[in-house]
Amino acid sequence: MRTSLLFSLLLIVGSCTTKKERSWQWIQSIPLDEINPIGLTFTDEGLWLSDGDRNRLVLVDEEGQLLRTVDSLERPMHIASSGNTVYVPLYGNDLIAKISKKAIRALPLKDSLDAPAGVSVYGEEMAIADFYNHRILYSADGETYIPIGEEGKSEGQFYYPTDVQITEDRIWVADAYNNRIQVFTKDGRFVKALGADQKMNAATGIYVDAREVIVTDFENDRVLVLDHAGGLKQILAEGVEKPTDVVVHQEKLYIANYRNGSLQVLERQPD
Amino acid sequence: MVNGTKTNKMKRIVIICILAILGVSGVKAQQGFDQFEVQVDGLGCPFCAYGLEKKFKEFKGIRQVKIDIETGNFTFAFPAEKALSLQAVEEQVKKAGYTPIAASVMRNDGRMEAKHESPKKVDANAKKTMASTRVAGNCEMCKARIEKAAMEHQGVLSASWNKDTKILEVGYDEKATSLEAIEKAIAKIGHDTEHHRAHAEAYENLPGCCHYERIDAVKK
Repeated sequence: MRTSLLFSLLLIVGSCTTKKERSWQWIQSIPLDEINPIGLTFTDEGLWLSDGDRNRLVLVDEEGQLLRTVDSLERPMHIASSGNTVYVPLYGNDLIAKISKKAIRALPLKDSLDAPAGVSVYGEEMAIADFYNHRILYSADGETYIPIGEEGKSEGQFYYPTDVQITEDRIWVADAYNNRIQVFTKDGRFVKALGADQKMNAATGIYVDAREVIVTDFENDRVLVLDHAGGLKQILAEGVEKPTDVVVHQEKLYIANYRNGSLQVLERQPD
Repeated sequence: MVNGTKTNKMKRIVIICILAILGVSGVKAQQGFDQFEVQVDGLGCPFCAYGLEKKFKEFKGIRQVKIDIETGNFTFAFPAEKALSLQAVEEQVKKAGYTPIAASVMRNDGRMEAKHESPKKVDANAKKTMASTRVAGNCEMCKARIEKAAMEHQGVLSASWNKDTKILEVGYDEKATSLEAIEKAIAKIGHDTEHHRAHAEAYENLPGCCHYERIDAVKK
């Protein structure tokens, strides 16, 4: 009787442990020589970083060693990829560049941008964070764009948006100097704001997956992990210095440190 | 054979001459630019810094734009024949929402021009009184602006603002000014202090990244 009770107890404890979600834990810092990353994205070739200070895009290996460089890009910012094509918002000359192994092309846009700071690609869909115009441009087919938002501090308005991500049914925006994340439907209706209670100081980069919303808090040297309702799950600060972007790839979380030119790598580990 | 050697020698001389001419014209082209250096009120983040650069692209012909975000040092070259004035450069920095601290230019003909605030008259026998107060701000740009406003105020001998604690430590000559007057001077440029709230217009004029969470000033 006692043995079966003990066994049941162990079974319950065991199942609780299995269900408990694992938190992110710092595992590695990858130094980047002469690179101050702003955006990052993965393709089959590896990790691409935008190095705004040096007007270039760089491909690096797992040790942060330079594999390839695409030069003469005017202030590339938060990049995105689809297959092996990298999409690069060029803050300096108001263009979105589409870079593949074969060619570099400027994306044709009817609307004029003023300092594009972020781009997201999801199938045929595309969204652009149009920094000085305080708006998001969204296209369902990659051809016709609708503007979302305007300058301001109320719900649905932006104050210098710097990054954007499209998911299956939503558009998520790093509303940098309103210090929050805003969520929209794909027809541009405001859904909710997240992180406004976290006293962020420049919410510059965003990554969203099915479980979490991860945002870089640039001036406070930290990265916040939120659930989709905005609840704070974790604060990541170890090794983080002026973070500008974040991405999850093959179960690892990568944080781009702009200030000291490095990548911080985290893995899910039991508490 | 001898003729061939002579021809080769001639060829070499001609090539050297061409290279020399190209070299000289290259130097001349380089020398056709004025070299500007502007110290900008603490550029905190790349978004601000690149924005400043973008504003300067309105100056057609600008070259070699370089911004050091950490130090706020902003340098560029501009065609000498356009005779860009330091005044125009400073105005453009202000138009972009930033504060120039000092500016200089090395003209193409070797002349050096500099523009900076004239130093304050300080009483050598002044007794330094130390005080601290809370000042709202966000970033390195805020820090530079707050400290500059304090230091420009007559009678202030030292000023240091901490971005994390939001506390301004200030040293001043009690005979020349007071903490209240210093706070007023800081509020005037858009930063709320413990006892003086900045005007909405001054606050709105701050660059985006400097829009701190406003505080309710307590009247003394």
